[in-house]
Amino acid sequence: MTDSGHTINLLIAALGGEGGGVLTNWLIEAADRSGWQAQSTSLAGVAQRTGATIYYLEFFKRNADAPAPVMSLFPAQGDIDIAVTSEIAEAGRMLSRGFISPDKTTLISSDHRVYGITEKSATTDGTADPVVITELCSRYAQRFIHFDMLEVVQRCGTVISAALLGAIAGAQVLPFTKEVFVEVIAGGKGADANRKAFEECYQAAAGGGAKLVEPAAGFVLPSPTTAIGRVLIPRIAGFPSSCHEVLFHAAQRLVAYQDVHYATDYLTQLEQLLARDEGTDDYYLTRETARWLALWLAYEDIPRVAQLKLRPERESSIRAEVRAGVDQPLQVTEFFHPRVEEVAALLPKSLGERLLASATARRALGYVLGPRKLRTDTILVQLVLRGLASLRRWRRGSFGYAEERAMIDRWFDAVCSQTNTDMARALADCGRMVKGYGATRYRTTSRLMAIIDAVETGIAADAAAVRRLNETAMIGEESAPFDEAIAALG
Amino acid sequence: MAERSFKEEVKKLRAGDGDLFKGEGILAITKALLQSGVSYVGGYQGSPISHLMDVLNDAQDILGELGVHFEASGSEATAAAMLSASINYPLRGAVTWKSTVGTNVASDALSNLASAGVTGGAMVIVGEDYGEGASIMQERSYAFAMKAQMWLLDPRPNLTSIVDMVEKGFALSEASNTPIFYMMRIRGCHVTGEFLARDNVAPRYSNRSPVSPQREPEKIILPPYVYAQEREKIAQRLPAAIDFIRREQLNEVFAGKYEHLGIITCGGSYNTVIRALERQGLSDVYGNADIPIYCLNVAYPLIPDELVEFCVGKEQVLVLEEGQPEYIEQGIQTILRRRDVQTRVFGKDIMPMAGEYTGQVMLEGITRFVLASRRETVPLAMTLDTVLGRETPLSEEDIAALMNQLPPRPAGLCTGCPERPLFSAIKQLQQDMGPFHISSDIGCHSFATAEPFNLGNTIMGYGLSLASSSGMRHALPHKAISIMGDGGFWHNGLTSGVTSAVFNGHDGLLIIVDNGYSAATGGQDIPSLVEPNLIASTLDAERPKREQWQSIEDACRGAGVQWIRTVSTYNIESMKRTLREALTTDTAGLKVVIAEGECMLNRQRRVKPLIRKAIDEGQRVERARFYVDPATCTGDHGCIRLSGCPSLTIKENPDPLRIDPVSYVDNSCVGCGVCGENAHTAVLCPSFSRIDVIHNPSRADRVLQRARDRFRAWWRRRDERRQQALTL
Repeated sequence: MTDSGHTINLLIAALGGEGGGVLTNWLIEAADRSGWQAQSTSLAGVAQRTGATIYYLEFFKRNADAPAPVMSLFPAQGDIDIAVTSEIAEAGRMLSRGFISPDKTTLISSDHRVYGITEKSATTDGTADPVVITELCSRYAQRFIHFDMLEVVQRCGTVISAALLGAIAGAQVLPFTKEVFVEVIAGGKGADANRKAFEECYQAAAGGGAKLVEPAAGFVLPSPTTAIGRVLIPRIAGFPSSCHEVLFHAAQRLVAYQDVHYATDYLTQLEQLLARDEGTDDYYLTRETARWLALWLAYEDIPRVAQLKLRPERESSIRAEVRAGVDQPLQVTEFFHPRVEEVAALLPKSLGERLLASATARRALGYVLGPRKLRTDTILVQLVLRGLASLRRWRRGSFGYAEERAMIDRWFDAVCSQTNTDMARALADCGRMVKGYGATRYRTTSRLMAIIDAVETGIAADAAAVRRLNETAMIGEESAPFDEAIAALG
Repeated sequence: MAERSFKEEVKKLRAGDGDLFKGEGILAITKALLQSGVSYVGGYQGSPISHLMDVLNDAQDILGELGVHFEASGSEATAAAMLSASINYPLRGAVTWKSTVGTNVASDALSNLASAGVTGGAMVIVGEDYGEGASIMQERSYAFAMKAQMWLLDPRPNLTSIVDMVEKGFALSEASNTPIFYMMRIRGCHVTGEFLARDNVAPRYSNRSPVSPQREPEKIILPPYVYAQEREKIAQRLPAAIDFIRREQLNEVFAGKYEHLGIITCGGSYNTVIRALERQGLSDVYGNADIPIYCLNVAYPLIPDELVEFCVGKEQVLVLEEGQPEYIEQGIQTILRRRDVQTRVFGKDIMPMAGEYTGQVMLEGITRFVLASRRETVPLAMTLDTVLGRETPLSEEDIAALMNQLPPRPAGLCTGCPERPLFSAIKQLQQDMGPFHISSDIGCHSFATAEPFNLGNTIMGYGLSLASSSGMRHALPHKAISIMGDGGFWHNGLTSGVTSAVFNGHDGLLIIVDNGYSAATGGQDIPSLVEPNLIASTLDAERPKREQWQSIEDACRGAGVQWIRTVSTYNIESMKRTLREALTTDTAGLKVVIAEGECMLNRQRRVKPLIRKAIDEGQRVERARFYVDPATCTGDHGCIRLSGCPSLTIKENPDPLRIDPVSYVDNSCVGCGVCGENAHTAVLCPSFSRIDVIHNPSRADRVLQRARDRFRAWWRRRDERRQQALTL
């Protein structure tokens, strides 16, 4: 055996459709132009359809006098010099598989997130915590270069592969010059955008990657600027400062949703709770109850949806989102599905109840309701929406309001009446359950009422039981997990 | 038109003597076939050899110039049957498929081929789909090679060895009158590298120089010849093969200074062995190893004399073969015992029985093997503990913390996939009608068995869903439901499924997903789709007039199905109605719903250039995509649970009060319309809108837009004033 050097081993983990294959070919080309031999393998399989894909490359300096090197087709734990991942959870996955070695591996990753299906389909927040992953990667990689490459490529109008190549070049972990890398991405379509993303990421990686972001400053309650503000701000100021941010946004929302009285009533209600709050965890109980109470009070009925669809900043945010030019005509077709229930909710209490009870009236209304596509950019539909939004004036006398109010008060009273703070907090957290429209909203609110039933009848005797019910209630559409959890308690 | 085009790369196939050929394993194999003078090639796509079919398809010009005949076979059985051309005539031929599934489908023809024996070289290139990245159940093709007596080649995974072994394989096939399996592993198929090319060789017999028909009754698999064929396998073909393999040195022996040890490896694992030795300081990068290696480029049959020569005088050898049972190890033990060679054989006692021999597995195994020697101490760069520690540097605590944060990423349907609305419809229907038992099949639609649809109970094989529902249908509370792709339908489903179901009075529902291509394997064309690649009821097209079109509906009618409906998958309401009707109707017999919608990957490839061209030429074009209003979205994600589209994702909630992320449509949206359909049919929420961006607007567009803009601007100013007064 004669010792004559080793291969440089590079692993790429990308998601299907991100251009991992393109990146691999660029690297092979760069090696070739630099007098290095490259071998690559990949696992395509069905991974090309949204799954995670791994490419593996080995490089070896060409030598006309030596035989061909034997290169491995398998990335091996402890044998990876460079690991490149297109997304931070994939960096975590490579770490979990042992491909990141403290004595050897330079890890280069974009630190944006692409959410997996289980993260996306959770009824609440099922997302992974990139901070944990980033911390572990910086601890275990010999060098860890990471920054948000997605932001760069979106700005440059290209895909992540060009950014990754720039970062690899900038990290100076391969014995190829920058000029060679630039040459290999010079051709083909989108070359300009690629070059731009490459250059930015080259610089970012050469500079060591992301800088620590200063944590945002704490919220400071602003001084009042309007007559309404002069009424509400002093009252908010009366709450502990940890509640100010939520209360400020909440009051603002309720004024817009209904009127200033609606907001003062809200603050009055919370002052009752505050009087009972022992103040643990920076008045967690008051703050979180305030959050969910405000959101529930601003429940999405027809006038509210119409109001939101008319908000002034909406058009420009759509334009930015779909990347339409300033003058480019846009058509906005909304998918509405008003049901008899939503119409009944707008009527005065007695009328609403009668409508829901009458099969004839329901049938008649059924003809005009149901799935509707409305072009909300047109003048006519805008006027209709304005008419619907103005109905909010009569909201407090409506059937829908009476129904919501009854549930809101029941929940709020349940929170207020607990002597055990932990139990009160568990019930307050249940306010997060209230969301959705139509059947979803019916499901979430009725499960919340069932939890309160369970508390009142003593079935759910402690905070842990309430939290368990809350969790099962949020599993999704199927009723079995929640029903079983209730049954298990009783 | 397949997903990946090799139009440019196939030009390399014209390389001649001495040219340096650089490229992928798949391309190298094709080149080797041409250098071997094949007369015909065929096969059926499936990873990891899908691209081999794509290369052959794209290389038809070059094949034509040489007179090589190519067929995209209807199934692996079709492909295997092609090899019968080599029984009577000295025609070289090769077919390819995914194994072991394809080998199972082809087994009838293969067994008969192996019994009859061949005159011309016959080769089956099997993509051995085993280990990480595999998409099927895990079995070895080796078993089939043994029981049917076909030789199995497993060359070292560098392009030079890969190409050489194709050429030598044909010679071996002819020398021993036996068909050959040529095994390509997943990573070998996709390996890139280089080799020195040789000239292509035109086949001796082709459409230019036909054979003169001749009959050899002794090659027909009927009594009494079959008994003679069985004897001939043992008396003539096996000895001829052993003789050829030994003479031509198809297997390789690499010397090493520690002669008391030896490693016997399959060719496919050779590179991993060298890397493990290198990391232990027992080899250099060029493969000059300190431990002698016997490399089996021919994995079956074993060559007793060669084996004994290698083992005699050694204290111990290590046998390296992936998967189970350990056929090679057993074979080696038998030979050594019969010859009374006392070398100790290590194998599956220190290597894992199941799974791939990855770098780490190999390193651990070889380390254990070296440490087991009592005769002489071999210095190792790493202790066993160090090697075991290489598995992961993470502390147990950190592993637990990390695993909590890693989202699974199962393969799923692509953005805009026409199958998504079908499964949204079935999921909605299930919410009304109670839980379904569904017999699923092979194809993209099998992803519906995963999140977020969770639809489907069993998968029995390609095109076998309907057949697999037949034993279940009498014991289900609802009519049996089977889902099959158009690929599976043509492969096997029409005969095994539809014909048999009609014959047996099956009154269940068969949903045929007609997306126009063999989509899961990379978008290859299938009988029910020919140019100009348009499906009847996709988003943008009327059913075009097509010649040579083989209709799924006509095929079903021909097989006796009376109740057939064709529905566009994108119309969820209509799909729900049709499926409900099929499941509740009193009409007897099989109900077939053809769920139509063109594969979105293929469609995008087809229409994107057209749209770009239209925009560049100044034509008025509307481009649609969807948008979720973050102000009305409450973050329940019910829309995602009905869809799972990659472009329908989540983002941080812009609302300072809300905590849960909002649904969000990213810019990969192709505007297929499913989000809107779901919002309507499942009564989700008022957050979805379709945004049509108009390129090259007409005069009327501009006038209208200006009027609307002015109207909205006036109100906006008024709203902003009022909003100002309502702030704090």
